[in-house]
This record gives sequence, structure tokens and C-alpha cells, in this order.
Amino acid sequence: MRIVVAMRQLADLVEELEVNDEGTDIDREFVKFVSNEWDEAALEEALTLKDELGATVTVVALDEPDVDQTLYAALAKGADRVVKLTGNDPDTWVRSRERAQRLASFLAGESFDLLLTGVQAADDLDGQLAGILGSLLEVPHAAVVVGVEGSDSKVRVIQEMGGGLLGVSELDLPAVLGIQAAKQTPRYAPISRIRQAMQTGEISEHEVELSDASAQVKVRRLYPPESTGAGATMLKGSPKEVAAEIIEIIKSKGLV
Amino acid sequence: MLVGVLETRKIFGGETETAKMVFYLLAVVVLAIFFTGLVKRVIEYNHGRRPASFSWLRRRDARDIPEVSERPKFASSLVTIAANKTVTKSRKKVGISHLLLFWGFIGLFLATSILSLDYDILGNASRFITGHTYSFFQGPFYLGYNAVFDLAGLAALVGTVLLVYRRWFSREIQLDYTRAQRPEGGYSRAKIVIGDQVFVVGLLLILITGILIQGLRIDGEGFPSFERWTWLGYLVGKGLVTLGVGSAGARAIHAWLWWVHVGMALAFVAYIPWSKAWHMLASPTNLAVRDLATTRRIPAPPEGKTGYDSIDDFTPRELLGFDSCTKCGRCHAVCPARTAGAPLSPRDFILDLRQWVDRSRHIPLLLDTETRPVASGPLAGDGQLVGDVIVDKTLWSCTTCMACVEICPVGIEHVPTIVQLRRSLVDRGEMDPTLQSALQNIATQGNSFGKSARMRARWTKGLDFPIVDARKEHVEYLWFLGDFASFDERLMSISQTLAKVLNASGVSFGILFDDERNAGNDVRRVGEEGLFEMLVEQNMEAFSKASFDKIFTTDPHTFNTLRNEYPSFGLDKPVLHYSELLAILMFTEEVAPRSLGRRVTYHDPCYLGRYNRIFDTPRAVIAGLGCDLVEMPRHGANSFCCGAGGGRIWMDDSYLEERPSVNRIKEAQGLGVDYFVVACPKDYAMFSDAVKTVGIEDSLKVIDIVELFAEATEATELVDV
Repeated sequence: MRIVVAMRQLADLVEELEVNDEGTDIDREFVKFVSNEWDEAALEEALTLKDELGATVTVVALDEPDVDQTLYAALAKGADRVVKLTGNDPDTWVRSRERAQRLASFLAGESFDLLLTGVQAADDLDGQLAGILGSLLEVPHAAVVVGVEGSDSKVRVIQEMGGGLLGVSELDLPAVLGIQAAKQTPRYAPISRIRQAMQTGEISEHEVELSDASAQVKVRRLYPPESTGAGATMLKGSPKEVAAEIIEIIKSKGLV
Repeated sequence: MLVGVLETRKIFGGETETAKMVFYLLAVVVLAIFFTGLVKRVIEYNHGRRPASFSWLRRRDARDIPEVSERPKFASSLVTIAANKTVTKSRKKVGISHLLLFWGFIGLFLATSILSLDYDILGNASRFITGHTYSFFQGPFYLGYNAVFDLAGLAALVGTVLLVYRRWFSREIQLDYTRAQRPEGGYSRAKIVIGDQVFVVGLLLILITGILIQGLRIDGEGFPSFERWTWLGYLVGKGLVTLGVGSAGARAIHAWLWWVHVGMALAFVAYIPWSKAWHMLASPTNLAVRDLATTRRIPAPPEGKTGYDSIDDFTPRELLGFDSCTKCGRCHAVCPARTAGAPLSPRDFILDLRQWVDRSRHIPLLLDTETRPVASGPLAGDGQLVGDVIVDKTLWSCTTCMACVEICPVGIEHVPTIVQLRRSLVDRGEMDPTLQSALQNIATQGNSFGKSARMRARWTKGLDFPIVDARKEHVEYLWFLGDFASFDERLMSISQTLAKVLNASGVSFGILFDDERNAGNDVRRVGEEGLFEMLVEQNMEAFSKASFDKIFTTDPHTFNTLRNEYPSFGLDKPVLHYSELLAILMFTEEVAPRSLGRRVTYHDPCYLGRYNRIFDTPRAVIAGLGCDLVEMPRHGANSFCCGAGGGRIWMDDSYLEERPSVNRIKEAQGLGVDYFVVACPKDYAMFSDAVKTVGIEDSLKVIDIVELFAEATEATELVDV
């Protein structure tokens, strides 16, 4: 089985994010970039499938800050090949549609059975990437996948449904899956292995030129929500005073 | 004494030539068996992996605290062995019994050797060369020989009786062979118990028969007056007479009892390399070659590997260490993991490795082995070293507190071996999810809290004076806070207190702000060597940007790695712990603290006390603050770990029966003190939780030593009971 995992870099959310002067992107200058955690789950699922069935795992990512680190870590974890797609400006925000087009352009020349990516990302909470990829590549697509069982021509996917239910579907290959969670927590890549990968591993680069760059979404405004003022009330004072106040509130609401 | 009587005795007690031949034949067979075992074992140690560096050649006795990790010279090792110092250290009575037995048997061995030299070598050689048999085993030499070596016999007898008594009747936890990690299919250690009894009771029987045949011989010879010099045998002979054993009877008993004695003694010699008795040779050798640095400065993984995963990875010293173990169980008793109910006992760890190595190398242990109905772990033939022989959870249970290494009477270094095995687990990515996320946080953000590196100096907010940036301005002291003192909400205020104390005393100090990274002490001990090296590089880079004369740390763990491990990566500045800095302030009279008059107890952090021998300095500070220090039963080098070290603070501890920190607080509970003084941020975190668990947070307050200091040096009360 040939598996491709698409990964993306995002600003580390432990950092305090600030909006740039134009108000169209986060200020990227002092922010650390890390890989998207759902993409990490997708990679883990791919590596688990490789362990179970034997597969080749190719990891592909756009040229984004610190992406080399993520790709080397993927090699250290057991990916067979890592590819960096160049051609985009590493310091600007690539929206999901453009990302999908760039990935699809590479995948058109790649034969694969499964394409896995994170079901969402901090800049793709609506989870579009996997869906757009499915439609661009004209292959079946499933999202919110929490488990993949494979064979040579078909996969069974377990999807999270509402109300605490799980659904199992069968898809013909090739297919695109948006991974919500891997069967196990993403494995750890020891630093010594990552360093080894840096010395001996190779990131192959592939340039992607988009024919129609004008048809992209234009960001008009990015901003933190304004405080409405009618938020929560913070109770202040010693634990005893706070406790007394809580009791008062509960009583005033007629709950006790 | 009658003139003309030659003071000597017949060797062999007058047995026939045939009997002599039988004896010599037996002796040759016995020596062959003994040396086969000896050579097999020495070859096995020789198979061990030899670390590339020759640092093991360098030896110097530690004269000062910074030399705590020097290797002792052979001479001082010899004194340690001769005085049984390590055996006596923590258990006086047992140690003295062992010392009697030790010197007693050395004396008896010498006695036999002298006899053999005279009779077998000098006698035979002179008869062969000159035709006349020479012997020096007569006259005054004979009398002195008997007088001295009877003393050895008595010493050995007393020591052995005491140890047999203890072995039979003691209920101590260290003599309980119950495993900490229970294999699924069950196990039996009956053979180990039998091995212990064969060893110690065997020695006792050899001694008793030896003394008896001496008495019988003298009785049989009709008590020649010069045999009064053979005082023990003479007395025993007289005793035999009162029991009705006359001269003829004595000769008859002597004839066969001599064979019983000699048979047992020969059998014992042959038995040595195949049993627990091997420790008689292995343990002193191990003590002579041990390296006190190994635990403080964890060795690199084997070349070209990330950690231990095969028998070939063990060094000769480690292999010798396994064989040195006497199963005395002291490590088992003091281990915080074992005490807490975790599946780790340093004793079982060593015994499992020994049994596995012996099994793999086909060196049979006759007794002294564990048996299992279903072969598993060290008994199974096909298991992996890490995961099967020693299970993951056993390795992860270690807090690296070093209590086992400290108390081991034969110089085994358990902790570095555990770390080497952990490295293989880390390489395979097999670890607690919480540990994994801590390591990932450290790799990406440089701290285990997963907070932005830029938040590291957030604790300084609210101070009414600026903290110097050591990267911009020269300072005398560079303060290395560590993760907990920087990021933990409870500890940030203590960091502020320390900053206020230093500021008020006019100490020139600064910090690295966002350039400080986790120092990596615990990262290294978790087994993540690559990450440790990365952190060292990052911190060394940060040091090179700063200008300072000395470093002081908040965290004793950080202190250990900066002081003992960073120098080999190029750090050449003195490293202090903040408790030392407080002592300096106090004793150079920079501050004049008022007397607090409190009753307190003090908990020695493992990495400050045991690891770096700083016991007195914090105590001097506490005394200088006018506090009455009440020691816990386990203090100083015998301090009991809080359970946080070696990366345990990043792992799940809900499976423990009783957390070590709770065990410790209960120990302090009965002392009648109001304050539990700590000098380690992790201790503060662990024990603050523990007093709540025990439910005594109102009567026993966990307090950092600098909080006491601040209270005594400032007008305002910072701390209330």
C-alpha cells in the first residue's frame, strides 16, 4: 500500500499570537511554527498501517517555517520519503484551497492508495483540506476518521458521528481521509533519531507552479474577537470569601 | 614444658598414605572445579563492552565536595574493604558480625596456606632434593601459629553464629525475597533461600567441625601441656572430657570427623564460583574498581547505539557488579519505588540481570536462582533485554534518587544501568504519554510546561526592581532557575522571594531570560540522550552570550548536571546551589537575620545531599536563622526521595500504593515540628500536595529555606503559620 500524508506547519498556539499591521495575517516574525496536531495523528495512522500491513509512507508538506524539522521528525518516526513542495511564499498564509491545489498538483504525478491528512487545523477549523483534495483528485473522501483498516483494494474507515456513535464505511482506493485521531497516540521521535535523519535523510523538493493564482480567497480582516463586556464575573478574595459568595449566588438563583 | 618434646603435631592427624592420596586427589579435583568457575567468570567479565575513554585510569581521593565524583585510589579502596566500611556503614551489628567472619576466615585461610606451604611444598621439595624432610611447623612458631589462628577461628565462629541467627530469626524487609515486580505465571525463590542457608550454615558446620577436631586431637593426644597455646582446641578438648569423651574415644571420633571437616571444606571451595559465595571474590574486586562518578555523570550510550539492548552492552564493571550482589536487600529496603509499591526493587533488578547473564553465558548457578512455573523474564530464552528480562514499568519506576547506590555494601551502581536500559525504551518511543508530551515540550519550547520560552521570566513581573539581563551586563552570579522555579505558579513567588533577598543583600546577579533552557538532568536520566545533548548545546550557547563569574541554581537536579556533567561539554564556571549562596550571605555577615525560634525539620534533596554531599550548608543556614532542627529518622545520605526525580514528575504515579512524598510527610508528622523545610522546587511541589493528602496542611507547613531566610531578614512577616 502506498500512503501519502499531507502535513502543514502552524503557529505554536502556546505563543501569544498577534495580528500584523495590515490586519490580514498573524505576525509571523517572532512566532514559533510547529506541525498541526491532527496531521501528526494522520502520520501516526499511516505508520501504524505500515507496521500492520507493510506500506510505503510519503510525507508531503508545503514550504513553511520550520517544515524541515517536521519532515526530518517524520523520517525519524519511520516515513520512507519526505517531500517539500516549493513555489509558495513561506512567510505568507496559504489558505486551504490553494494548499489543496498545490498538493493536488504534486499528487497528480504520484500514484497512491491512501492520502491522509488532519481533519482540521487551527486555520482550517472547518476541515476543508481533505474534502477539496478529494474533489480535485476525484477520489472518495471521508472525514473525522478515527481508525483505518486496510486491504489492497479497499479500506474500512471508522468515523466519529454525533451522539457518541461510531460509523464504519468502506471506501474504494485510492481515497482521501481527514484523520481526527489515530488508533494510538502519535509516537515519539527521539532527538538522536531526528538528528540522524538530518545527517543521512533527504528532503526531496518539488516545485509547484499554480496556473491560476487569482482565484484564491482574499483575507479581508483577521482579528481577535472584541470583548463585549458582559462576560464572566471573577470572584475575588480568600477561598472562604469566594466560597461564601458562591453559596450566596446559588441561593439567590433558588437552586438550594 | 618438658625438655626434649618437640612442639608440633602430625599433619593429617596420622592418616595412612592411601588416605593422603585420596585427599590430594580430591584437592586437585576441587581446585580444578574452582578455577574452572573462576576462569569462566573472568572470561565473561572480559567479554564486557569497554567504554572508549581511559578516564577509568585516573584515580584521586575526593578531598572536597566538588571532588565528590572522583574515583577512590586503590589504597583507600583497600581500607574500605579491610574495614568492611560499606558493610558496617548503615547497619552496625550486621557489619561487625560480617567483619568478624571476614577476618576470621581470612585468618583460617592463611593458616591453611601456611600449613600447605610447610607440608606440601617445603616438606616435599626438601625431601625430593636433600632426602631429608624440613619443616618450620614446630617449636615457638607452632605455638604462636595456634594461638593466633585459634583467635581467627573464634572470630569466624562468633560472626557466623550471629549471621546465622539473623538469617533464621530476623523479620526485616530486606531479607524478604518477595519480588516487587510479580511475573504473571508466578515464581519461586525457594532455591535462593536454600542457597543462603547452604552458604552460611555450611560455613558454620565447617567451623564447628574444625574446632571440634582440634579439641578431639588434643584430647586424643592426652593434653600435652604445650597445647595450652592452642587455647580454643584445648578448652574444647577439656569440654569433651567433661562430656565423657576420653582419649581413645576422641581418637576414634577424630578419625572420621576429620574427613567430614575436610570433605565439607573442599566441597565449599569447589562450590564458590557457582554460588552466592562468589561474592567473597567479586565484591571486594567490585569495590576496588567502582566509580563514584558513574551515577552523577551518566555515561554515554555504547558507541553506535542509543542504549542497551543486548548482553554485549554491559561493561565488565556492570557484569562484575551483578555477581557481587549478596542479596543483602538493603537497596530493596530503602528504595522509594519499592516502598511505594512500584514494580521496582534494585535488588531484584540486579538478580534478574545476573540470572539472565549467567543463563545466556551458560554459567550455572547451582542454587541462588529463581524458578518459575512458566519461563518468563530472565528465565525465558528468547526475550528482549528491555521489555522482557526487565519490564518497562520496572525501569520507569526509578526516581534515580541514588539511595540504592549509596547503601550498597558492595559498590553496585544500579542507576546508570537503569538509564542505559531506559534509553532503549525512549529510542523505541515506548513511554508514558505524559512523559512524551513533557519531552516534546522541552524539545520545542525548552521547558517541560509547554509554555512559550518568552514566558520564562514572567515570574519577575511585580518585583519593584529590575532583574539584570546577564546577556547585556556583567554579573557575579548567573542565576539558573530551572523550569519549576520559572513556570510553576506556586514556585514563582518563591523565586521572587529569593530575588528580593539577593537584591536586598546587594548580590550582583542576573538571569538568561528566554535563552535559558531546561538543563537536562532529568531528560538525561529519562534516557533521552539526544535531547539532553541538544539542551546542553542550547544552554552553552546561552552561557556564551552572557557575562558572569559563577552560576547558582534553584533546582538541585539542574545543579547536579551543571556541576558534574556540563564540564565535559565545556562549562568551566563554578556552580553553586542557592542554599550555599544563602550560607555565604549569612556567614560573610552581609545580612543579620533575627532568630526565628521555630521547630523545623529539613528534607535533604537527593541531588543536593546524596549526589553532591551538601548536607551541612542548609543545616547551617537553618541553625543560623535560630531554628531548632529536629531530624527525621531518614536524613542526610539516608534521606528518602520525594518521588519526583529521574523524570518521575512527568509520569503517572496513580498506580502507587502510597506516594513516596506521603510516606515522607508521615515520617515528619510525628516529630512535633511546625515546618517542613525544603531546598528544591520539586520537593516544594511534591510535599505541598502530600501534606494535603495526609490532611495536615494546617499543622505542618512546607516551606522553602529562602522563605525562612526572608522572614528572618526582613521586617515584615512573609510567612504565616
